[in-house]
Amino acid sequence: MSKIQRTAVLIILILASAAIIYPIFYAFASAMMTSAEIDSYPPHIFPSGFNLDNYKSVFAVVPVAQFLLNSFVVAIAITVGHLITASFAAYAFAFIRFPLKSFFFALFLATIMIPWEVTMIPNFLTIRSWGWTDSYWGLILPFLATGFGTFLFRQFFMQLPKDIFEAAKMDGMGHFGIFLRIALPLTRSASVTLAVYSFIGAWNMYLWPLLITNEESMRTVQIGVTMLQFEDFTSWNLVLAGLALMMLPPLLLLVLGLKQLVGNLTMGALKG
Amino acid sequence: MKAINWKMALPVLALANVLVIQGCGTSNSANTPNSAASSNAADTSNEAPVTINWWHAMSGTNGKVLDQIVKDFNASQSHVVVKATFQGAYDELLNKVKATMGSKSGPALVQMNDVNTRFMIDSQAITPVQTLIDRDKYDISELEPNILNYYTVNNQLYSMPFNTSNDIFYYNKDLFKAAGLDPEKPPATFEEVEAAAKALTKDGVTGYAFYIEPWDMEQSFAKQGELYVNNDNGRSGEAATESLMNSEAGVKTLSFWKDMIDNKNAQFFGRVSADAQKAFTAGKVAMLTGSTGALRGMVEGAKGKFEVGTGFFPIPAGSSKEGGVAIGGGSNWIMNDKSQEEQDAAWEFIKYLSSAKVQALWHVSTGYFPTTTAAYDEQIVKDNLVKYPQFNAAVEQLHQSKSNYASQGASLGVFQEMRNFYSTAVEEAINGASPQEALDKAAKSSTEAIQKYNDTNK
Amino acid sequence: MTSRLRKFKEAAFGYGFLLPSLAGFSVFLFYPFLKSFYLSLHSMNPRGQIVEFVGFDNFIDILTSDHFYQSLKTTFFFALLTIPACIFIAVCLALLTYKKNKINLIFQLIFASTIAVPIGNASVIWKLLFHPTAGMFNYFLSLFGISPVGWLTNPAYALLSVSMMTVWISIGFTYLLLLSGIKGIPEDLYESAKIDGAGSFSIVRRITLPLLSPVLFFISVISVISALQSFSQINILTEGGPVNSTNVVVYDLYQEAFVNYRFGTGSAQAIILFLIILLFTIIQFRLSERKVHYS
Repeated sequence: MSKIQRTAVLIILILASAAIIYPIFYAFASAMMTSAEIDSYPPHIFPSGFNLDNYKSVFAVVPVAQFLLNSFVVAIAITVGHLITASFAAYAFAFIRFPLKSFFFALFLATIMIPWEVTMIPNFLTIRSWGWTDSYWGLILPFLATGFGTFLFRQFFMQLPKDIFEAAKMDGMGHFGIFLRIALPLTRSASVTLAVYSFIGAWNMYLWPLLITNEESMRTVQIGVTMLQFEDFTSWNLVLAGLALMMLPPLLLLVLGLKQLVGNLTMGALKG
Repeated sequence: MKAINWKMALPVLALANVLVIQGCGTSNSANTPNSAASSNAADTSNEAPVTINWWHAMSGTNGKVLDQIVKDFNASQSHVVVKATFQGAYDELLNKVKATMGSKSGPALVQMNDVNTRFMIDSQAITPVQTLIDRDKYDISELEPNILNYYTVNNQLYSMPFNTSNDIFYYNKDLFKAAGLDPEKPPATFEEVEAAAKALTKDGVTGYAFYIEPWDMEQSFAKQGELYVNNDNGRSGEAATESLMNSEAGVKTLSFWKDMIDNKNAQFFGRVSADAQKAFTAGKVAMLTGSTGALRGMVEGAKGKFEVGTGFFPIPAGSSKEGGVAIGGGSNWIMNDKSQEEQDAAWEFIKYLSSAKVQALWHVSTGYFPTTTAAYDEQIVKDNLVKYPQFNAAVEQLHQSKSNYASQGASLGVFQEMRNFYSTAVEEAINGASPQEALDKAAKSSTEAIQKYNDTNK
Repeated sequence: MTSRLRKFKEAAFGYGFLLPSLAGFSVFLFYPFLKSFYLSLHSMNPRGQIVEFVGFDNFIDILTSDHFYQSLKTTFFFALLTIPACIFIAVCLALLTYKKNKINLIFQLIFASTIAVPIGNASVIWKLLFHPTAGMFNYFLSLFGISPVGWLTNPAYALLSVSMMTVWISIGFTYLLLLSGIKGIPEDLYESAKIDGAGSFSIVRRITLPLLSPVLFFISVISVISALQSFSQINILTEGGPVNSTNVVVYDLYQEAFVNYRFGTGSAQAIILFLIILLFTIIQFRLSERKVHYS
């Protein structure tokens, strides 16, 4: 690329970054504004100072620490569950020959298409009949399998060069061996992507925790955000402080995940 | 794109009920180890207190105040323990209640919003508080009659009002002064509001903020003394079968708003009260109507910028019928699938909630109305009225309200659906349709929905 | 080992690997889905109890109402407005920033950042940005002398506004997927292409995009599914209005089942939606998977 091209690309990227980051910046900036500031016109772009009062109010209204802990436990468990169930199933779809494979694959895909509206209630009844309301089991168990993650892994597995597997088979490696020692390490970027996605999906759960928990001590962060909204008059700075607070852990996870992704060994390094 | 939307998941719970009733294998509600209440109720000895669950929709600081009230109640006596839990916004709470109706995991006491009153009655899952009032000869003379009226159907009080609000008129006194209007005399009629809006619209300020709040239309009918649905607003025994929102009262009201928008003297904020309120506290619009529940927030938001004034909800000039205010907010319901002991305990607690002291604290800390007139004698209420004199207009509007079927407001099971038809009609009118045409269409759809409801609700 | 035994063992492995997922699906997806099919054949009262068996009446009611086709049309428009724009932007950004260096690390973080924002929360933020008077968008426009736009209140703009927000929130995950897809492409392929003297544009066209096709295929299938199921942003931003201009099928279905208390028709609508999505996915597989380049 010429110098002009490079500069043009850089400008485009900077503009795109500004557009993409702005709404998130807006949430964090507004979270530090007073009610008068956030409601003024022309609107303030930056808060007038480093004002943490809204965060203090959030902590006063919502048991933040307990909710964060619960969300972490649930999100981590679901993420690990997804990685395990999805990678196994995807390996089968990509590399193992068995009867009715395309039927089962279609079935897995169909799970993504079932509107959530129809599953929630029967699942609630199932969990209730097992006595798992107000428990981590109830929060985690219904979400351990994922058609989405399976499909994702399958696509990444199928992107891998076939000859590696032929060679491994020749060496007498079984499916478990190939799965653990070749397929998984070579698709670490898929694992990281799915992990980020699953963690954040679980982190964002709202209705299910609300439905199956009656104890405040078992509730998760999204319910905390609802607790900040009022029927008749909403203090947006307070709500945005709550949003900012609960976006922080996923953002941090994203930073970690990206580091993994970027630092990932690419196929090139393995060709030998 | 995000494919699995757990967060998107919203209340689906009502279906649960079906499945419980069918009892298809998995749904054995009998052995649900859920509420502490159910286990306690079984073996109540003389000493053991009865524990009841109270589900509510009070978030934020309102929720904190509510927790304090519960704590005080539990400390004040030794035979009832109330456990209060926030269960999401009203629609989420309602769906969760539906899912647990008839099982042991549900609460003994439920807070529910105004529009779901009819549904709660029709569910046959509740014990009318009237039964307990009659049994105990409980004196309700000090409770606000105009508030009780809303929760009274066929002369029975079904639930006890707890958090009550009212639709009032807000204006920016400083902008009124600047426009040469009397800041101490809020406009009272549609015509006066229109004239004021015209005078106020200048220098980047718009006179009036209009947002779609179906409650406004219901309020307008009530204030004009007109019925919103037929059969005495569904209040006198016969269920309502027809929407009357396209009658003259409705067309007049919608034309009033539409004309102001067409003349650019009003700005339209879609369906979002918060947006209009934000524009008001930002000083971009000078007048709007809204809930008393927003009063403190608006006064605080305007602090240092301008003075907030309040007045009655406007009516068309020359309205001659007697009317009043349509009550908003919520009430508490006793569920009948709980033991008598638990229901009695819930009733005990309801009486506590209705006491002057509690209502005074509740009013002062949340902005909801006291449900009992005795609360106005409490010092904290007097102090609060000094601090927020704007509240006086709301109290006066409530006390001047005349009680009749019109001011009781419509009672029907598809209230929310009718509100949605109404909102679409307003949008159509603002985008060019005539108010009559738009309301005719909405009234027709509403009537069909009412009939469907009546058909399945037997 | 005989070949039959080997085949049997292979199949056993296959099913064994599927088993954990299948167990989860059976209890928490297939069973409830069948249940809802059962409900869709009944009329139900507002409390959620079955009143009577009505056969396919609920389905017929839906399929013969203009209202349903209107919301279907809105749903397709929404998909058309969001999917191509999102994929195009994400592909461009990914191709421009996948290389490993310090500046790109910052860009990568920013472009992927929207994945960390819950869609409900993003809707709240965007709603404030879209605010007709005090919102940032209209404020920015006013700096250029452009008069305020009724982003969410004007039927001509509302669907576009909701789509803008949807594209924004979808970019994060799409970008992240593409980035991990590109990371999976062997570097030596690039090197040999460079030795062959290929320009960067032709490398993208001849190597990157074909090798990315499994991921691109995944993205397009998932995007269609999720666009057709969008709910949260519409619920918070517009409630289906103004004048039904954003009333997509899922929002309508939700209203029917959980606001209007007609679960029978709500369930029927959910099943029709499921079938429509299924149809689209099948078409996508038929049309594209053959063209997807699996190495």
